Amino acid sequence: MKYIEFVNSTLKQEVIKHSKLVLFGQNISAGSCLGGLTRGLKVKESSKIINSTNSENSLCGFGFGLMMGGINSVFFMKQLDFLLLGIDHLVNTFNIIRNLDDFKTKASFTIMPIIVDNGYQGPQSSLNNFYDFCSIARIPGYTITNKLDIERIIPSELVKPGFRIICVSQRLFNEELVTPEKLDYVNETNTIFQYDTGKNVTIVCFNLSFPYGVELSKRLKTNNISSSLFTVNSPIEGEWSQIISDIKRTKKLVIFEDSKSINTNMTSLLNDALSSCQLEKKIIIKRKIEEGWLNPISDIIEINYDQIVSQLL
Amino acid sequence: MSRSHTSITKNILKNRLCQIIVNQKYKEKKFKIPIHLALGHETIATAVSEIMSQNDNLILTHRNIAYNLARLGSIKPILAEYFLEKGGLMDGKLGSMNLANPDRGIVYSSSILGNNFAVAIGIAMAHDLHRTGGITIVLGGDGSIEEGSFHESLLMLKSLKLPALVIIENNEWSMSTKINERRHTINLQKFCSAYEIEYAKLEGNNPFSYIETLEFCKKSSLDTKSPICIEVMVTTLGDWTMETPEFPKGKFINYHAGPTPSVDVTHGLEPLRKTNEDPVYVLGQLIDDTNLTQLKNEVRMECNDFL
Repeated sequence: MKYIEFVNSTLKQEVIKHSKLVLFGQNISAGSCLGGLTRGLKVKESSKIINSTNSENSLCGFGFGLMMGGINSVFFMKQLDFLLLGIDHLVNTFNIIRNLDDFKTKASFTIMPIIVDNGYQGPQSSLNNFYDFCSIARIPGYTITNKLDIERIIPSELVKPGFRIICVSQRLFNEELVTPEKLDYVNETNTIFQYDTGKNVTIVCFNLSFPYGVELSKRLKTNNISSSLFTVNSPIEGEWSQIISDIKRTKKLVIFEDSKSINTNMTSLLNDALSSCQLEKKIIIKRKIEEGWLNPISDIIEINYDQIVSQLL
Repeated sequence: MSRSHTSITKNILKNRLCQIIVNQKYKEKKFKIPIHLALGHETIATAVSEIMSQNDNLILTHRNIAYNLARLGSIKPILAEYFLEKGGLMDGKLGSMNLANPDRGIVYSSSILGNNFAVAIGIAMAHDLHRTGGITIVLGGDGSIEEGSFHESLLMLKSLKLPALVIIENNEWSMSTKINERRHTINLQKFCSAYEIEYAKLEGNNPFSYIETLEFCKKSSLDTKSPICIEVMVTTLGDWTMETPEFPKGKFINYHAGPTPSVDVTHGLEPLRKTNEDPVYVLGQLIDDTNLTQLKNEVRMECNDFL
């Protein structure tokens, strides 16, 4: 099964459960339905699906207004850069809502944008800076990259009192769904997942980089190196105790971070690791921002796995 | 004078006197927060409050004091909020520019021009889905109709078939700039016509005719499931002339925020301007002297503790 098929089927199962739920966004029930993300969504009679106007700013305010009126809603968005038009509401309107007890527990509002991380988009649509959106107002946010985090995050976070943003990866849309064999640990807020526990290396994947971490983990295994494998699913997560205790044991850390943001909580984990763990090896794989990075080029990070493996042997 | 006319007149007078009390304390530097007074807005605020039913909602701007006073009918919790006290209207959590009062239907106030129109769409749809029969009333100023979200929101309200009253208070100023100093004229009626949205205009500060028009618009909007845009001409009173090196003879300054130096508590309930731009002056044209004097005395008595 493809990544987007699984996200779509999980969404279908979730949205049908809720009464008085409003799903809205541009083209969510027309054409490709956002590349299949919202294809075939069905809701109860008391709910609505609105194929909306192209008014991203007002659509964000609309969701918050529904929330104040006690109505749950999900705003599906074709690409993350459209959300720049709604920043006023993400900050100013959300700040009012969460300051008042009446509103913050009254209803749910979720924005679900697609991060266009597959490249060749040019200077605008390739915005891959989810950290900056969440950081500006400490907005709860989630990225989903594999079967286990999708199964966990969509049912528990999509419709739940409060506001959050859940991002999906366009790069993964037509890729085979990454299906970890097991889940060793997930924290209460569904922001840190541990898929494997090894004794030699700790691998931590930020943003949408999990497939890179999975590939490294496999290659290490063929070289008889066992690794712990984590994802950090939220840009505002900062409680690292589970990961730090693992790093203290393995003393070797590999971080993958594939966003284009300077403002990433990877640095927070790194600071904590450097100050509290006696690291023998640290490898950080992140995007190189080089000349021409705003041109329509590939956004896939080229990784020399053999070199990383040799450094960890 | 009918009972309802007495009550409406008294509410306008009380709204004025309470604002003068706030202005006086502001001049005495008793507040830490910024407050945008709305002297001159008392008639439209009272009229809007009069037409509101229990299920209706009001979405305001940073210049919300007249509406909060009209809905609450009392200054004490508002003053306490302005002093950021725990016993304030919203426990000192919102201050002035975002002051709301959900118990009296004011669910949201925004200090960002145009921001509240979009929120109003969601609240209007919540009424629709909950089948409350209530209407959403959203306020904006002539500056806010320059924002893209105003256009987006009218389009969304119309497209989604949602009843709402979109009230634009046109005082012809944005902060210290007159409309014709910063932009081309916007013909709001023609603009609404382009979206097939009904338009009404209120001017002259006659509260009884304002209420009649607003009630008609409310019923029509609910019946047709379509927003109605109402432009109301207001004069934000409290302007003054400031002498500067560039303007030694003084430059006219429109009141925007902060205490207005030209209004003093000694003005009491006398008109600030002897034209129909001043709601208190208009009451003098509509109500006989004996009745008006008696109502002013009653309002002074009710506010005596704060004078």
